[in-house]
Amino acid sequence: MKQFLIGLVMFSVFQTVFAMEHGGMLMDEKGMIMNANTDRLPRDCPQISENVDITIHAGQQYAEKFTGKMFAFDTQEWDVKPCAKINITFINDDQIRHQLMIHGLPGYLYPEGMFHLELNGAGQLQASLILPSQKKTYLVHCELPQHMEKGMKAQLKVDGGDGDLPSIPGISAPIKADLYKTDWSQLAWATIIISILIGVSFVLITIIYADKLTSLADKITTKINPKK
Amino acid sequence: MTLKKVLISLSVLLLTTGAIYLIYNTIPQEFNSAGINPPETIYNQAKDNSNIVKPCSNTHPEWRPAQVIEDVTINAAPDCEPDNPYEVATSVKGTNNVSMGTLMQTDFAQDALTMGEDLDNDGDPDVIHIKLEVVELNGSSPDGNFLINTYDIAPGIQPGLWVYAPKSRGMAVKNFNSLVANPLLRAPSPVIRVEQGDKVYITLENTHYLPHTIHLHGVDHPWMTSKGEDNDGMEEHSVFPGKSHTYEIQPRHVGTMLYHCHVQTAQHFMMGLGGMFIVEANEPNNWLQTFNVGAGQVRHPSNAVKKTYTQEYDLHYQSIDKRLARIVQDSNDPRLVAQHMARDYNITESFENYFLLNGHSFPYTLRDSMIIADDNEDIKLHIANFQRSAIGLHIHGHKATITALDGVDLAASQQITRDVLDIATAQRNDVHLKTQNDGLHSYGPGLWMFHDHTPTGTTTDGVEPGGNMAILAYKSLLDEQGMPKMHEHLFDQVFDKDYYAKNLAVWTEGPFGALLGDAGLVSPNYLNLILFGLAIGVLIGLLVLAILMIKRKSKS
Repeated sequence: MKQFLIGLVMFSVFQTVFAMEHGGMLMDEKGMIMNANTDRLPRDCPQISENVDITIHAGQQYAEKFTGKMFAFDTQEWDVKPCAKINITFINDDQIRHQLMIHGLPGYLYPEGMFHLELNGAGQLQASLILPSQKKTYLVHCELPQHMEKGMKAQLKVDGGDGDLPSIPGISAPIKADLYKTDWSQLAWATIIISILIGVSFVLITIIYADKLTSLADKITTKINPKK
Repeated sequence: MTLKKVLISLSVLLLTTGAIYLIYNTIPQEFNSAGINPPETIYNQAKDNSNIVKPCSNTHPEWRPAQVIEDVTINAAPDCEPDNPYEVATSVKGTNNVSMGTLMQTDFAQDALTMGEDLDNDGDPDVIHIKLEVVELNGSSPDGNFLINTYDIAPGIQPGLWVYAPKSRGMAVKNFNSLVANPLLRAPSPVIRVEQGDKVYITLENTHYLPHTIHLHGVDHPWMTSKGEDNDGMEEHSVFPGKSHTYEIQPRHVGTMLYHCHVQTAQHFMMGLGGMFIVEANEPNNWLQTFNVGAGQVRHPSNAVKKTYTQEYDLHYQSIDKRLARIVQDSNDPRLVAQHMARDYNITESFENYFLLNGHSFPYTLRDSMIIADDNEDIKLHIANFQRSAIGLHIHGHKATITALDGVDLAASQQITRDVLDIATAQRNDVHLKTQNDGLHSYGPGLWMFHDHTPTGTTTDGVEPGGNMAILAYKSLLDEQGMPKMHEHLFDQVFDKDYYAKNLAVWTEGPFGALLGDAGLVSPNYLNLILFGLAIGVLIGLLVLAILMIKRKSKS
């Protein structure tokens, strides 16, 4: 009993400890926020250009509008101005863990170039970040095993971005594509047979009317080159 | 004129048949006999040093000594890759009872393991909430020809695997530039330990892309939860992707049991969705190591075990069919994976290719799955068979005593001491291994191999030495990194990816290298080559002549 009471006291103490910031990380029972940035400007930004409020849902249900995926965000692409400040509301609609990670950010503001939200289960987190001015496409994804591979992948473009990342659901094709069985319908067969018949008849016609064709060709050549 | 025509026709005919006959008899062959002097031996055909792996990376030597973290006593683990002591401490106290500093040394999520009330007031928590996720290792990526969340079972061997993993946090890979899975994500599914009478809630949070369940094989559990929902993990109550389900148990019976997925059971079991579930006797002040990640040595044994034994090990035997494992690497679309696994793959026409002990095949078993002993020890082994086939476990130099079968203790008169333990699929043996040098239980100190004696079991896709071979090592015969001494030559060979890729001959070193290494190439029969060339030339000449003649005839 004594141990249990001590345990209870310890538990409440740790609850407060957990909510404390820990080297750019804020973590509690619900989830964690890493490298949020509300006010530090990137070196190349004299000021914040615009404030963008984005709500991002994560969940299995958002993959349903895509074929061949299992997890997804509700949106796959955002485009913001250089030096924009983004206020993200991240909502997890599943009963499992999901993350929202943005990679390739400047390391002097975001350690390891990373901005990271994580929800241990259904819930909601809010955090902001300020993007540099560079025209660039940032990877936004959930880094749980198999989640990005199965569709939880999006892109954040600054100033129109520098191209699309591969295998963003509904936006870009994969690099290593799956193979699917061909649909050999009646229409497909008919198309092939008709094409073959056209090809054969073309050759036949050429042979049957060979004489007429040669004389035609002669006429044409004499017209073009009358000296001959 | 006619005679001339006949002669010409005849000679053309002869020349043609002769050329064809020659060509037929001199076609260059892929293989040729060598005559008197066979070709020289060639050494190490694959001389790519980048494929050589360091036997022990010695990443965390500070994890080896006995230590106390968060008031948890953690036994010494002298092997090359000891279990992370912070992970052990967190597994004992729960993620809710350790400091932020300790938790940050692990990959556990903050709600992975919550320890609650002490129901019987005996000084240890009795309400245990365990959260498990489902992880694909060595899976495919639509973004290129590489595998992601990689986990090597042996040098260069990365079969697709599914495992249950304690709920984790942060990146699945070691860092953003790496494809290697973080240390919590590994085979086998973790061993779970609870106390008899504990109220245990196991939540399956299905992070995977196919449905799964948890079936508690042999563990005392009601068929329905208190809410009247499924509690037996049956196929018709699958937990679909993104969903979670909590199984409730309060086991009355002590013993070594199992948990495994019961959806598409044959395939999901063989993919790795199964682990040991051990119920320990209720004792006062009995804080158990709830997770033994990667199985192997239990660094914080229970009070009951400590009464009789000096050490405790969990041995999880598992096999992989490479054709089944490849399905998740060849396709990414969940519909294709489901189709290939459920209908195209046929387990009744399948083989086992990889054999794992605690998630590794030899030589990686030497890094984290040796049994490390002193003289006169009493060691408790929990052995479970997750293979498709039965195992016949043999420990060199020792005879061990079976104390329980399938979680039921044997009376002293029923206990058998033997040197081959036969364990059918899903069966468990609790074993008392003594290291008393008495000529029966032990023949004295050594680096004694132990392995499944089924001949396939000691191979990796047919390459020996591999499979589930490991070593029962007496401490005096280990080096400071916990690797067995006197094995340098073997290590040079087996810690090379080319060896398991079948690019290297077995015996290439020493005086027998020239005798047993790879045979070189034989030179071709040059006379045959000349005759073949001449005949082809004649034929082409005749063909050209014929065409010319036909053309001239049509002109005239």
